[in-house]
This record gives sequence, structure tokens and C-alpha cells, in this order.
Amino acid sequence: MFRGIIDLKSLWPIAAIFIVLLILPPILPRFYTYILALIFVTSLLAMSLNLVLGHGMIFQFHHGVFYGVGAYTAALMLAKSSLPMWVGFVAGPLMAAVVGLIIGWFCVRLTRLYFGMLQISLGSLIWAIVFRWYSFTGGDDGIHGIPMPPLISSLNNAYYFILIILVICLVALYLILKSPFGSTLEAIRDNPQRCEAVGVNVRRHQLMAIVISTFFAGIAGVLFVVLERSVFPDLLFWVLSLEIFIMCLLGGWFTFAGPILGAAIMVALRTFIGIFTEYWTLILGVILILLIFFLPEGVMGYFLEGFKPHAKEVAERRGE
Amino acid sequence: MLQVEAVDKSFGDFMAVCQANLSVGRGELVAVIGPNGAGKTTLFNLITGQLWPDRGEIIFGGEDISGLPSYQICKRGIARSFQIVNIFPRLTIFGNVQVAVLSQQRRSSNLFLPAQNLAVEETKSILESVGLSDKATHIAGSLSHGDQKILEIAIALGNEPELLILDEPTAGMSPEETAATLELIKNLASSKGLTILFCEHDMDVVFSIAQSIMVMHQGRTLVQGNPEEVKGNKKVQEAYLGGE
Amino acid sequence: MEFGLAALASQLVVGLSRAMILFIVCAGLSFVLGVLRVPNVAHGSLYMIGAFSAYGIAMRLFGGSSAGFWLALILAPFVVALVSLIAERALFCHLYEREHLMLLLFTFALMLIFGDLVKIIWGAEYRSVSPPALLRGSVSMFGASIPRYNLFLLIIGPLVAIGLWLFTNKTKIGKISRAAAVDREMVSVIGINVSWVFAAAFVIGCYLAGLGGALVAPTVSVTLGMDHTIIIEAFLIVTIGGLGNMWGALVGSLIFGVTHSFGVLLWPQFAIVFPYAAVVIVLFLRPRGLLKSVW
Repeated sequence: MFRGIIDLKSLWPIAAIFIVLLILPPILPRFYTYILALIFVTSLLAMSLNLVLGHGMIFQFHHGVFYGVGAYTAALMLAKSSLPMWVGFVAGPLMAAVVGLIIGWFCVRLTRLYFGMLQISLGSLIWAIVFRWYSFTGGDDGIHGIPMPPLISSLNNAYYFILIILVICLVALYLILKSPFGSTLEAIRDNPQRCEAVGVNVRRHQLMAIVISTFFAGIAGVLFVVLERSVFPDLLFWVLSLEIFIMCLLGGWFTFAGPILGAAIMVALRTFIGIFTEYWTLILGVILILLIFFLPEGVMGYFLEGFKPHAKEVAERRGE
Repeated sequence: MLQVEAVDKSFGDFMAVCQANLSVGRGELVAVIGPNGAGKTTLFNLITGQLWPDRGEIIFGGEDISGLPSYQICKRGIARSFQIVNIFPRLTIFGNVQVAVLSQQRRSSNLFLPAQNLAVEETKSILESVGLSDKATHIAGSLSHGDQKILEIAIALGNEPELLILDEPTAGMSPEETAATLELIKNLASSKGLTILFCEHDMDVVFSIAQSIMVMHQGRTLVQGNPEEVKGNKKVQEAYLGGE
Repeated sequence: MEFGLAALASQLVVGLSRAMILFIVCAGLSFVLGVLRVPNVAHGSLYMIGAFSAYGIAMRLFGGSSAGFWLALILAPFVVALVSLIAERALFCHLYEREHLMLLLFTFALMLIFGDLVKIIWGAEYRSVSPPALLRGSVSMFGASIPRYNLFLLIIGPLVAIGLWLFTNKTKIGKISRAAAVDREMVSVIGINVSWVFAAAFVIGCYLAGLGGALVAPTVSVTLGMDHTIIIEAFLIVTIGGLGNMWGALVGSLIFGVTHSFGVLLWPQFAIVFPYAAVVIVLFLRPRGLLKSVW
């Protein structure tokens, strides 16, 4: 079934990275293990956004909401219900996908910036409810000290759990992008009008992409709970959504793995500049400006430019 | 097979199409001609659902299709190419046509199979029939204009249409390319038994290959008939010779 | 639910005066959006800089005197305009040919930088600005006591609207920028330096952000994070009003301000939900905004 879509040669470096990541935790100081795990969670979040953003040109401006809904659903079920733990883990992504379906259903009637704006307003509505509903969500305090199953309660075990889920999700996302669904989605990105003319129900297709994307965002939300054991309303705040958006642009939104790189850069910058100065956002801003001026295709895009056939086409379109 | 009856479409105060009538029989090669701005492209957009008519009926296969979204009209068997190149610039040639074939096979939403193993034979045979097989792996955006116009037609063929609509298929082509493209269109019509509706500027071409010609002027249908009838028609002569 | 006319009137005034601030900020955002086609995420930061500048001038330099406030009201927006002019000429003007998302990314970077600059200059504490003697205290209307400062805002808002209308309709630069909003190629064809039109539009838009910030300073605590709140509200208002339409910004601000203050009356805990819900309803009924968008 996977005949021809996975190239064994390009699999070796990926396998090597995976093995290195597997043997790292016992060697690394706890703090670095934690940062790596946070990068994994954030990578999955950025990858889920890029399914609709880079591959579908859908301006999902408030992706953080689905991350937050996934995290809160899992957190509330783990902290407040007596259901088995795994139910919360499954409910998180499902709830995120349901919210994605509802919000997406309203939004796909619009395009581009208007799509993004409607999504921001619907998302802010959910943020406002989470932020204010003290008795249920803990309001702006959030929920802390969420119990975890013993199997993944230590940091190293949580790390492995997150890594394995991340790999499964990345494989799934890769297969989805290589499926007829994915190639049709990229066709819609290139030319929605023509796609409609060859018999594709563009809105339904986009809605389906949004639901899939929000499902994976929900998984990332659950993984966040596994790692942090707490949730707070900032997970749904628009600033986070914009940051995810920027991870995709930064890493290279027309590439498959670019968002992972973008997420790693953002998390690393925040953490390591944060050690030296409290003014890390200033430095992040300066780095962003440098990137905009010197690496417009994103970091991954820059390195792949030589091989990417579309780079030339994009350059031509800009009249360079 | 296709009947357009008294269709109107206005943009603000401007009547782009007014009382247009057109009839296309099964297996026919029908041309729409008229000066620039006569409403030919608008008429095609109305038939294929890019635009919705203000009034009038568009009957295809016995049913009124006016007002349906374009993807449903496509599913009913009308595919089209566009006057201004309208392809998927970042996909390969193969990918461009495959999108249409997958859509035709109702597999566009399939999530679980690798796309590159699907619809391969069908796509290849279409590329074969239009002569683009050797460029199958090229990125569409990097093709020459002439090849992009051919690709337009290939994408439309991917939907296995009963009625193929071509909006100025040779616009911007060199004389040699134009001749080759018209040969291709004639071949497609005969080999696949397609019904083709097209519009075209080159009158020699139109009168040499079309079985029926509809003349539009300022959004109205002047006349529809076989090439001899159209040539002899007074109103047509006025519109083309005296009217401008 | 029981509430008297007095509560209703005072909430209405609060909502309307909040709407005036929002309008001034949103008119600026909308102007930039209309002419430059850039969603300027840093607009909220400029509003925050306006508020902090007003604090710096009125409280630090003049020790909270009335004259200090009036001076701050005049000078603070110019400080913001100067900051925006520097950012525009040094960096932004080199990016106009690029994709829109890159421009969005750039303004986000500006937001990050401005946020930290404010933290470096003014610190992370809560600041407050006292209104001038003339505008302290409240007056009694409809049995409710209404702060004088709010009434002042109700006068300023329409004045700014009229001023903007005169500017865009009666002055040359205003007409040019309106034309650039509709058809930028035309403007460059007739021999106008589009780059400077953009610079002027950007600076004017940011000036309005600064003015909004200076005006809001006495009514709220001036603090970091006020940029995040205002910018999201401003974007939503501009969207429901119709992108780039100044009167749309006014209508949107009124809807936003009034629904929020009545939300406070109806269900204080979830007051914040009401304006967002109003935006959702408007966008559902009129996806492209209430008034005609220039896009």
C-alpha cells in the first residue's frame, strides 16, 4: 500500500535522528529533555496547522483554539471525572475536531483574510468563555496538577510517549498529504476556481481538511497536558495562534517538515534567549525581521530551494 | 443535448449577456463567435456555473442546470478549459490531470491510499492523447504558454465529459501551434465521440471545422446555423463589417 | 433581570465613550489596511506606546498637572507618529512588493519589538494618568452620575470623525490616499510617488493609534498587554465594518462598545463574550462587513 511513496534511502537519516532522540533522555539533563519534549508538542501543533495553511492556503488564524480545546478537554476529564484515563486522551482530539467542524463550517463560506477574521472572532468567543468560566475551567488560573497514569508520569516516560505519538502523527500526516485527498487539497491551494470546475466540492474538501487539522491540534493539546500537567487560557489566546502561524512561515510553509524546524527555532529561541535576558521577544522580533529580509522562503525553504521546482515559479510570479 | 434559452446576465448596469440562445446537439462541433466583449466567455461561465444567470434556462441532458455550483455541473458531464490559462501551477503536469481524473472517479476525498498509484493509466492515456506524456513530470507553472493551453484541455478531458467547452483554446498561440491544436481538437471529437462547444477568433478556423456556428454581438445571439447560413446572414455581416 | 434607567444610561455612556476610543484606533487601522493592504498587527503596540507616552509626559515630566495632560494629549500621538515613520522608512517600505503574509509577519515582529521596548523604557508596573482638573469628577444625568471624562470622549470622537472626513475628502493627500486604496496602479501612473503616499498613510494611521492610546490613558491602568487586547478588538471591528471603510470602523466600534457595556449589565461574568458574539452574528449575516469594503 505504501509502494513508492516512502523512499528507503531518505529514511536512513530520519531513522538515525529517531534513534538519537530515543537514547538522549538518560544522558541529557532534565531541563533539556523537557525542552525537547516541548519542541515535539509544538512541532505537532505547527504541522497540524500547516496541513491547512501551507498545503491548503486556508488562513487558519486561530489554530491555538483547537490546541486549547484538546488540552482542556483532556485536563477536565482527567482532573474532574472518574472515567478511565485513556478516555480523556481520546476525547481531547475528538472534541477539538468537533469544534473544528463547527467553526470551520461557518468559516469556509469566506476566503482568505475574511476567513481568518471570522475564525478569530469565533475562537475569541471560546477563549472568553474558558477565561471567564471559573467554576468549570478555573478561569484565568487554569487547572494545575492534573493526575497522569503512572506509566507516563515520569518526565522521561512522558518524553517517550510524546515522541512515539509524534512519529505516528507525522507518518499519518505524510500519508494524508500523499493521498488523493492531499493532492486535491494542494490543487485547491493552487487554484480553487479550477478545482471546482473539475468537479471538486471545494468547500467540503476544505472543511474536511480543517477537521483533520484540528484533530491533530487536539492531539498536540493532549500531549501538552501530558508534559505540563496543567492548562491555562493562554493556550487559546490569539497570540499563541499567531506564533504557530509564524512557525510555519519561518520554517518554510511549502515544505513538509518546515514547521518542525520553525517550532524548534521558536521554542529554542524563547528558552535560551530567555535565560540570558528577560527581553527575549525583542530579540525574537529582530531575528524575524532578519529572516523576512534574507530568507523569505523560510529556513527549510532556503535549504531546499535548489531542489524545489516551485521556488523558481514563485520567483517568476513575483517578477524577480 | 445542451439548450441555452433566453439567458440574461448583468454586472451592475452592464448587460454582459442578454437573451442568449444556443443549442448543441450530441456529437456536434459548435462554435460561438463574436467580437471582443460580445459576452462569449460570460456565456460559457454561465453554462459551467462560474456565474449564475439572472434569467433564462440552461438545459443539459433534459434538466435545468442553471444556478448549480460548478462542481455539480462538472459531475453531470460538462468540462471546460479557460481562456486565460487556469491550471495548478505548483503541481506537475501529471498531477494537474490526475486531480481531474480522481475527481471523476470520486476518489478526491480518499485519505488512505497513496495518490501516485491511483488513476495512473487513465491520466497517462490522456497525456498521450494530447501529446504531453514526455513532459509529465514537469511543473505546470514552468511550461510554455502553448503547452499550458494544451494542459487546459487535458485537465478538462480528465473529467471524461460528454460536453467539452473550450474557451479560445488557441488564444496567444503561434500559427503553427494553432494549427496543431485545431487538429488535436478535431481528432478528440472524432476519436472520443465528444461533443465540443468552443469559441475562437480565427474565422477561417471556425468555418473550416465547426458544424454549427452561433454569432454573438453585444451580449445577444444574432443567429445560429451551419457555416453557409451564417456567412450569408445580413445581420452578421453588419455586426462584423459595419457595426463597429 | 432588574435594572433601572440610571444604570442603563450610565452603561450606555460608558459603552459609547469606549466606542469612541475604539473608533479612533480602528479608523487608523482601517486607513492603513485600506491604503497599504496590510493588517498591521503592531497597531495595538503603537496604541500602547501612545498611552505610555502620555503617562511619561503628563505624570513624569509635569507631575500630573492639568497642563501636562493637555500637552500629553497633543504630543504623545506625535511620538507614536515619529516611531512609525522611522519603522516605515527604515524597514517597512522595502517590503511592499512582497507577499501579504510576509508583511503580516513583519508587523508581528514589530509588535514583539515594541512590546519589549515599552517594558525597557517604562517597566512592567501598572501606571495611571490623572485627568485634568476640568474633566475630573462627574455630572448627574438621568439620575446617574457620569464621569466628565467620558463626556469629553463623546465630544472628541465625533470631532475626530469629522476631521478624518475632511482630511480624506478635502485635502490633496487625503484624496490621493483614497485613490491609492482603490487603484494603486492608477496613482503611480499619474506620477505620484506611491512610496510616500504609503508612508503618509501609515504614519497617519499610527498617529490615530497613538491618539487613542493617549485618550484612553486616564480611564484605564496603563500596562503591558493592553496592546494584545486592543488589536484583536480592532481587527474584528474593522472586519465587521468593512475592511478599509472609515465609517464602517465607526459602526463596528459602536456595536462593540455598546454590546460590551450592556453585557456588563446583563451578565457581568461573561460580559466579554457579548461583543465577540455580536461580531459572529454580523459576520454570519454580512460576511464582507456592514459597509462597503475597499478590498
